[in-house]
Amino acid sequence: MATTTTPAQEVADLIARCALRDRAAFKSLYERTSAKLFGVTLRILKDRSEAEEAVQEVYVKIWQRADRYVAGNTSPISWLVAVARNHSLDILRARRPASDDIDVALEIPDAGPSPERAAQNNEEKGQIEKCLGTLEPDRADAVRGAYLDGYSYEELASRYAVPLNTMRTWLRRSLIKLKECLTA
Amino acid sequence: MSTSDDIGGEFEGRNALVAEYVLGLLSSSEHARVGSLIDNDQGLRAERDFWLSRFSSLNDEFVETPVPGHIYSAIAKRVFGEQRTSFWENLMVWRGIAAGALAVAVAAVGFNLAQPAPDSGALATQLVAALEGEGSNVKFVALYDGTGNVRLTALSGDDLPGQDYELWAIQGDNAPVSMGVIPVSERSAITLSPEVMQGWGEGSVLAISIEPDGGSPTGAPTGPVVATGVATPI
Repeated sequence: MATTTTPAQEVADLIARCALRDRAAFKSLYERTSAKLFGVTLRILKDRSEAEEAVQEVYVKIWQRADRYVAGNTSPISWLVAVARNHSLDILRARRPASDDIDVALEIPDAGPSPERAAQNNEEKGQIEKCLGTLEPDRADAVRGAYLDGYSYEELASRYAVPLNTMRTWLRRSLIKLKECLTA
Repeated sequence: MSTSDDIGGEFEGRNALVAEYVLGLLSSSEHARVGSLIDNDQGLRAERDFWLSRFSSLNDEFVETPVPGHIYSAIAKRVFGEQRTSFWENLMVWRGIAAGALAVAVAAVGFNLAQPAPDSGALATQLVAALEGEGSNVKFVALYDGTGNVRLTALSGDDLPGQDYELWAIQGDNAPVSMGVIPVSERSAITLSPEVMQGWGEGSVLAISIEPDGGSPTGAPTGPVVATGVATPI
């Protein structure tokens, strides 16, 4: 093993050891990352006891899925945050009425400009902020609200006092614009 | 498409869906449908990873909040209620782990082997090799048990219809010696032939080539070599 390791490498190593059922590694991983992941479940679920329950389930998932973490694709912390965020969103989604189906163009067109180049481990802080800055402030806030707070289209529509379809259109256009900026 | 104001032109239809998926804006049923579309399409997976990595720049805004102390013991109870996993299960969990993790995998395999130590006298001669190659997704880990057998498991690689992967030993300047056709979808074990055994040891190179069904007809590699690795003591 290398003599100098970055914190990210250390976390990646802990995840790898969890995949090998190393209990001590799991405990270390928990000690290092649980405050962050609790921050995620708390922000999205907005209820302390629900967030505590969720964070337990998140770590059970991390233990079960540690072998799926692919080093190099995403930073280990981003991967852990994604597990926590997705779990929290699943909880919210399960509560929403089923009638909510948006009609989705399931025949997805070409992916457009290839994201491969850009999809490399590129998590520079400045870029997404810069590109969000090219959107109208309301719309940038809506995108952030969806990511950070897990707001649904309905919640966003009522927050910004616009009809649901308008919110969808706003957000889809914003996302397309965002992608153009991020891949520029 | 029932609404007129969304997904209007071609421009609008592009790409927003995967971003909506990543943001979590789709309903349960759509989320599940789009999720399985993404799982089955490399381009869409790249698109998903693109959004995930970009949005993850916002993760700093999730404020670290200490978890109450009793939570960990509840988690540990749930998580460690499992049975001990076998050596091979441990090895198999490395399937699907990408190239970057291969060295870690090898280290872990070594670490793991040291535990049950089926024959501690042979430990000194156990060897491990990580087989991979530039521009190829074929990755194997090979373990030599110190007593004439190599065990192999694929970390990644696709089944090739009408073709086989063949394993070769390359020792010094000698021509590659076939060790036989190896499956990619299951682990396998190979007993070293006397010919391979002769020069076998630290520094022996294992290579995998793509050959016609059943293996090379000539006794030498005929197809591209997709992965190689050097045997190293553990």
